[in-house]
Amino acid sequence: MQVTETQNEGLKRGYSITITAAELDAKVNEKLAEAAPGIEMKGFRKGKVPMALLKKQYGPRVLGEAMQESVDGAMSKHFEESGDRPAMQPDVKMTNEAWKEGDDVEVAMTYEALPAIPDVDYSKIKLEKLVVKAETAAIDEALASLAENAQNFVDRKKTSKAKDGDQVVIDFLGKVDGEAFEGGAAEDFPLVLGSGQFIPGFEEQLVGVKAGDEKAVEVTFPEEYGNAGLAGKAAVFDVTVKAVKEPKAAEIDDELAKKFGAEDLEALKAQITERLEAEYAGASRSVMKRGLLDALDKAVSFELPPSLVEAEAGQIAHTLWHEENPDVQGHDHDTIEPTDEHKKLAERRVRLGLLLAEVGQKAEVEVSDAEMTQAVMNQARQYPGQERQFFEFVQQNPQMRQQIQAPLFEDKVVDHMFEQVKTTEKEISKDDLQKAVEALEDDV
Amino acid sequence: MSAKTEHYDVVRKPIITEKTTMASENGAVVFEVAIDANKPQIKEAVEGLFGVKVKAVNTTITKGKVKRFRGQLGKRKDVKKAYVTLEEGNTIDVTTGL
Repeated sequence: MQVTETQNEGLKRGYSITITAAELDAKVNEKLAEAAPGIEMKGFRKGKVPMALLKKQYGPRVLGEAMQESVDGAMSKHFEESGDRPAMQPDVKMTNEAWKEGDDVEVAMTYEALPAIPDVDYSKIKLEKLVVKAETAAIDEALASLAENAQNFVDRKKTSKAKDGDQVVIDFLGKVDGEAFEGGAAEDFPLVLGSGQFIPGFEEQLVGVKAGDEKAVEVTFPEEYGNAGLAGKAAVFDVTVKAVKEPKAAEIDDELAKKFGAEDLEALKAQITERLEAEYAGASRSVMKRGLLDALDKAVSFELPPSLVEAEAGQIAHTLWHEENPDVQGHDHDTIEPTDEHKKLAERRVRLGLLLAEVGQKAEVEVSDAEMTQAVMNQARQYPGQERQFFEFVQQNPQMRQQIQAPLFEDKVVDHMFEQVKTTEKEISKDDLQKAVEALEDDV
Repeated sequence: MSAKTEHYDVVRKPIITEKTTMASENGAVVFEVAIDANKPQIKEAVEGLFGVKVKAVNTTITKGKVKRFRGQLGKRKDVKKAYVTLEEGNTIDVTTGL
């Protein structure tokens, strides 16, 4: 195996690798010998097939594998020795196209090396940590909204009529063309008027009924109704109203607190405070992270591999184009030319990405299995009923795992950096924090 | 000697098993041959088809097993095998077939 340098300018590297026929042959033999004990062939006991026969039968197939492996091996060995790290998958090509068995294999490899990333002087970076205390007003507001969600329904007087927002308890039997259909009947069904739970028109006609009333509700199923047999047909529902109930907001007291799993009102308040403060902390963290990244962007500069920047710029341009043209669903449009602005943004992203990865590697930041599982679980929750499939999909898909892992890793690295840099705490109000967060979103 | 069509009727196919690979270590090749072929015919056929010099031919008939199929007795066909020993310096690549 011979490696010779053919190109070395800037970050671009080119090498040609030669693997002699003898080396390749040895590799093939080794591979066959390894597989031999498991091979069954007619006329031979398992594992007793002679080598010559094996080579004839499986040689060509193994040869491809062996070639791949020795080229890969040569590449990884080269990277280990030279200390280069490729920015992207190296471009590998076979140079002698008329290759046949017994010839030496010549492979040309080109790639862009990752630049050496300078250490960051953390002492120069100063950050402000925004601290927001939960205010009483905010807590009360949260409590009130909790109470509203926990509304009870209380029986109205017998004679009063149902209004929008009331709950009616009904028996109903639906008929199409005089015949009852499946799923069109229920007893003691609690229906909140105006909730849109039933087909349009049904709830509106029940406004004004009293307990004990009987009413025939005539509705037409919408054209795009889920059941094709019923869609677009007129139906009559025989409805018997059993009770009319009015909504009543729950009072803010210990009773309400118990409903939400807290011991008493004070405990509930404490819970809300905690949650609000966690929310604020999250927001202030993202503001701080932004500050850190900005500072880092200014603090370090090094040469960037152009292919990475180009790919990132293309990606940004592509995403932005899709945002501007939301009616185009597919990705089969023309390629979008990235503008200078995109390129600038891409350079920043690539630089920070490389820097974070480097810092993380130096500080031995790792994402543990437990954290990974946690993250996968969180994502799986977005697909209720299909958690299992999602799990398996992630397990079999290293790219997906990478995607989930990346933000975790970034967060940990950022945390690590927060410990290194000087931070000063600054107390601000909730509105100010909100403004800071909004400014951050505008920027991106 | 060149290959003639009737040679193909005599020599049916090479037999490749553990046993024949062992025989090949002693310069012998094993073929399945027509049941009515005799040793001189086999010698001529092998020499003609593969262009080699044959030293000796030994033959053996493996009797077919008696098998029962749907309750009916039947018999598998008998097979004649020929162990063809080649003169020194001659080889046949059996794996390529006839």
